[in-house]
Amino acid sequence: MDKRTNMNLSGRKHARVIIVGAGPAGIGAAVALARKGVRPVVLIDRASNVGGIPALCRKKPGAVPTFVSWLHGRALVGEQFVAGLEARLAETDVEVWLESLVVEIHAGERRVTVASRAKGKMDVSADAVVLACGSRERSVAERGWLTGSRPARIFFTKHLFDFIDVNDILPVSRSIIVGSDSVAYSAAAKLSVAGAGQSIMLDRRRRPQCNVFQKLYFKFWSRPKWHGSIQEAQVKGLGSVEGVKISDKKVLTCDSLVVGGDLIPNTELALLGGLEVRLPSRLLEINSANRLSSPGWFAAGNIRGGFHGAQSCYLNGKKVARSVLKHLA
Amino acid sequence: MPLQGKILYDWPNAEIEEPLILSALGQLGTEPYDVTIVGAGVVGCAIAYDLSQYQLRVLLVEKMYDVGEGTSKGNSAIIATGFDATGGSLESQLVTQASRRWPELAHKLKIPFKQSGALLLAVDDEQEGKLEEIHDKSFTNGVDDVRIVNAAEAKRLEPNASSKVRGGLLIPRESIADPFTTSIAFAEVAMANGVDILLGAHIVGLQNCQSTVKNLVTESGYRIATRLIVNAAGLGGRDLADLYRGAPFDINPRRGQFLIFDKSSHSIVRRILVPLPTAQTKGVLIIPTIFGNLMAGPTAEDLPLGSPEATSTTAEGLRWMLSNASGLCPCLPKQPVIGTYAGERCNCKQGSYLIRYNDGYPGILTIAGIRSTGLTSAIALAEYVTEGLGEECDLSLDRDPDALDSRPDGCWPGWWRKPIDDTKLVKKNPDYADMVCFCEQISRGEIIDALDSMLKPRTLDALKRRTRVSMGRCQGFECRIRVAKIVSEHCDIPLDSTTQKGPGSELVAPTHEAIYG
Repeated sequence: MDKRTNMNLSGRKHARVIIVGAGPAGIGAAVALARKGVRPVVLIDRASNVGGIPALCRKKPGAVPTFVSWLHGRALVGEQFVAGLEARLAETDVEVWLESLVVEIHAGERRVTVASRAKGKMDVSADAVVLACGSRERSVAERGWLTGSRPARIFFTKHLFDFIDVNDILPVSRSIIVGSDSVAYSAAAKLSVAGAGQSIMLDRRRRPQCNVFQKLYFKFWSRPKWHGSIQEAQVKGLGSVEGVKISDKKVLTCDSLVVGGDLIPNTELALLGGLEVRLPSRLLEINSANRLSSPGWFAAGNIRGGFHGAQSCYLNGKKVARSVLKHLA
Repeated sequence: MPLQGKILYDWPNAEIEEPLILSALGQLGTEPYDVTIVGAGVVGCAIAYDLSQYQLRVLLVEKMYDVGEGTSKGNSAIIATGFDATGGSLESQLVTQASRRWPELAHKLKIPFKQSGALLLAVDDEQEGKLEEIHDKSFTNGVDDVRIVNAAEAKRLEPNASSKVRGGLLIPRESIADPFTTSIAFAEVAMANGVDILLGAHIVGLQNCQSTVKNLVTESGYRIATRLIVNAAGLGGRDLADLYRGAPFDINPRRGQFLIFDKSSHSIVRRILVPLPTAQTKGVLIIPTIFGNLMAGPTAEDLPLGSPEATSTTAEGLRWMLSNASGLCPCLPKQPVIGTYAGERCNCKQGSYLIRYNDGYPGILTIAGIRSTGLTSAIALAEYVTEGLGEECDLSLDRDPDALDSRPDGCWPGWWRKPIDDTKLVKKNPDYADMVCFCEQISRGEIIDALDSMLKPRTLDALKRRTRVSMGRCQGFECRIRVAKIVSEHCDIPLDSTTQKGPGSELVAPTHEAIYG
């Protein structure tokens, strides 16, 4: 913990390995590299704590254990899982830079520019860089089939967790959730447990994207009313969200919209920094050895696309660390 | 230096600081105003700016909770040369005049501005034949630096343009600017020169029209005394004109939808790409923005006045724009779209730039039909009507020798200043290195500076237009709650009472309750 608080923003200009993102994947890679004697390993995150998205899922009375990981047969809430990762990280000599935002990357020089309160803007180069920046939920415009006005109370699932778990505020009473993967279902569960009424879920798909097991699991918490095969959904309301028009005749009323799941990798920095990114999918070009288009660059976790749970990202981080070791050797 | 004007919000029960809330008319002084401008869009703000150069008591009243909140925010952000305007009209005259002054204006008012140039592209023989005609028209409009380019040169200028391009017309002075800052800058200088600004005040009544001192009545019942009234209410102009039985005009809003592409697409085009207008449509432009994004648009759809759909995007509209834009730039559909928006052009059936002095009653000026060119022309239009008020309405125009015509240095520095790059500043205030908006790289220090700036923005959208927080690719995924918290802490507004754009747009639904006890 001491290592975390003094932040050791050592004015370092060069590291053996830089890892961008201290979520499960980044920690997995950092721990694996440090255990193999690689040093210095610098782990950078913009948040004030390690753990990434799972750290947002607090264990609170009545809280849903979403973002669960079955580690050693135990169901863990995000926060608990992260505590385990932190303990493992603390046993190593990884330098953790928190509240530090990577603002630019320079693919050719294997260099990143970091901004932080402690140091202002500084450049750090490395022999290898692992991008573990995760993913985010696709915005209204990015989905392409959601149009309409832009009123208040259009949230992402992440905002619900932030409101409900971190700030103890239930910001909505009747929500429409757009999307139907397990992230969207976790939004429904979170709302239902926090005391909001039944949510409505809509998607372009005919059937929910969530698989049978996930659906069964979430059923325990909530059963959102399903509207599938929606061609175009139009947000209504000028001040705040009042409803969503799903066909010429039908407008569903609500007081908020949750844009759930449909994750998109955070690859924009990579694209602007000169790494190859496929458009419009925004997936990184990754070869079989986990390498990106420029030598010495790697990617781990959900930035590689798709949606994987915390533990699977952690394991992926460890796996990518092996590729990094080969590169360093 | 003149005494700085006041900023007040007519926002009963607002959780904002008391000195900012209008609670008694006395806060606006006891003397009647010489001029009250209704509508703080870019036109109203520019008029306030110009009138503030004279020894006058001026009030700027706005229905919404920030300046430049309506039509002035949802446009193409192009500073037009007026090369394609209908010659001889007041519109073309003002646009041509203003466009030559913009570089200096932008410098004085600290408005981000760039002469990107525009390239009008012909993609078939028929269109190529029309280039000459447009070239000549530009010259008649006083835009004499345009030049016809052949296919090879067009391709050299814009390598990502369609291979079908047969030729084009280069308009070097067509420019882009920050539309949000334009209204804000005008209003800030006006306020520094003593103009009072009242936000959130919807004018619903008018009394004593015949007398020299008239009264405007706001929705919350305040009676504002003023000698002259300027109706610059844009889309609300007809409703206001009905209060004083102004001469007939009909507002016919025309919706324009836009697509915003990510900053990674910015280098695809260097100039504004303009298709050749057809009989049906002016076509879809591809516009680099001053913020570093790329835009495509607009659509042109007539909607009834007051339609709730007016600022609503449609799937059909967005598809239409994308397919049209790909005609000029085939790689565009592959680029990631990060945002969409729709704005209303304030079209008037009776023609554009309708200006009537002593409309209905002596001392009332109606300005209507300021269409998309308003952003460019506002400054010239303001001077034109100031002069007119002097001649037609006996407004005595004595220059105030102490009035500022530039934006004071103490004003909000703006999103483009990037204090993070200034080591000394960061050392003095580490908040400038505390990044809140990751996509646009905006720090906590900049957000606080904006909240403390002259116009005291108190809504999240107003903050967004000043700092660009949550305008980036993630559209607030990372920062929305954190920004709301900073506003809440700094302005002492409870988190659940912070609003997106004033009352009725609270971040938290009114029926919510605290959970977990």
